[in-house]
Amino acid sequence: MGKHFGELAKIRGIIQYRLSPFEQRAFAGAISKGLPNIFVRIRSNIFRVLPPFVVAYLIYDTVEKKHEKLMRKNPKDYENDE
Amino acid sequence: TNISMWWNFGSLLGVCLIAQIATGLFLAMHYCPNTEAAFSSVAHICRDVNYGWILRTMHANGASMFFICIYLHIGRNIYYGSYKLVHTWSIGVLILFATMATAFLGYVLPWGQMSFWGATVITNLLSAVPYIGTILVQWVWGGFAVDNATLTRFFALHFLMPFAIAALAMVHLLFLHQTGSNNPLGLKSDTDKIPFHPYFVTKDIVGFIILFTALSTLSLKEPYLLSDPDNFIPANPLVTPVHIQPELYFMFAYAILRSIPNKLGGVVALVMSIAILFALPAYKSKFTGTQFYPANQLMFWIMTNTVLLLTWIGARPVEDPYIVTGQILTTIYFMYYIITPLTTKHWDQLNK
Repeated sequence: MGKHFGELAKIRGIIQYRLSPFEQRAFAGAISKGLPNIFVRIRSNIFRVLPPFVVAYLIYDTVEKKHEKLMRKNPKDYENDE
Repeated sequence: TNISMWWNFGSLLGVCLIAQIATGLFLAMHYCPNTEAAFSSVAHICRDVNYGWILRTMHANGASMFFICIYLHIGRNIYYGSYKLVHTWSIGVLILFATMATAFLGYVLPWGQMSFWGATVITNLLSAVPYIGTILVQWVWGGFAVDNATLTRFFALHFLMPFAIAALAMVHLLFLHQTGSNNPLGLKSDTDKIPFHPYFVTKDIVGFIILFTALSTLSLKEPYLLSDPDNFIPANPLVTPVHIQPELYFMFAYAILRSIPNKLGGVVALVMSIAILFALPAYKSKFTGTQFYPANQLMFWIMTNTVLLLTWIGARPVEDPYIVTGQILTTIYFMYYIITPLTTKHWDQLNK
């Protein structure tokens, strides 16, 4: 059922060099490289992700305010009442 | 080709399902599916049954968590083009339909005002089916309106459906294991595979802890945050609530339903809003997913916000300016499925 380890792909002519996990620090650079990377990733995506949320909030706010106004009586209708 | 946090939601959904079945089973031991006793039996569970209160809140909020996970899972699949795994995807859409049905049936069981009237509104939609509509809806009701016969059969079906969902989930995994998972870059990853244990066992456990924390915080601190106050009133067929609305996770579909002025049209739109997901595997693109298509990424986020806004509209009464806003948003929702493949094709041609 599906592919198994040993039958995944044939790789020929590629040499891989690896360090043993016991010869290196487990979380090397997690904060020194990882923390600035958070801001890099945010900067690279923000113009695609944020604008729709901003527009959506503006639509929500405008429509809610319009509804509030429609629920109130118009003071100009009663201007010449006595 | 490492898989990110968005790939955790599959296993989280499995956990949600098991949690719902477990809490639901214990609730079913004390619940009475008769209109005379249903409401009181839920109160009895919350007050007298040992730990009944936590079973009840976990089950109700667990359903909300289930839907949060499902929508995030589907969002991930749309964003990264995982729908290319056609069989897995199709079973997934079936699971979504089955889950929505189960949640709808479950909400009726406490027999509060919103339970009864929500059931009345949604089952009445069946009468919109041409020719056989009236007789169909009366067959579902077991009478001429939502009443005891409806409640008992809804309980039986609500108990049964999760096992159908579990079976579908197993078939879903079966198909997934034929091809292997997608990944954020959409590349073939046969050469990068790592063993499930210990890497993904650990990663999934982290996900479970976060989910459990969220569910517990919700259930223990604000258990009725997502509930409707009207459901604390026993069902009364002679008194209609001012605002009949379903649970949060159905609001976007409710908004789409109400946007069409025609009853049958609304029902068709409601079904199509979910069924259109079946069409996604037909979209062709050079690269799997939206990673290399910024325009599609922007449209995805527009789509996400459209669904969020539709959720808001679903919760608002049918008054101006909500009506026309809902109609425009429904149009945008369906336009997404038409514009997306065209954008992809255009982008591919530009980059030839």
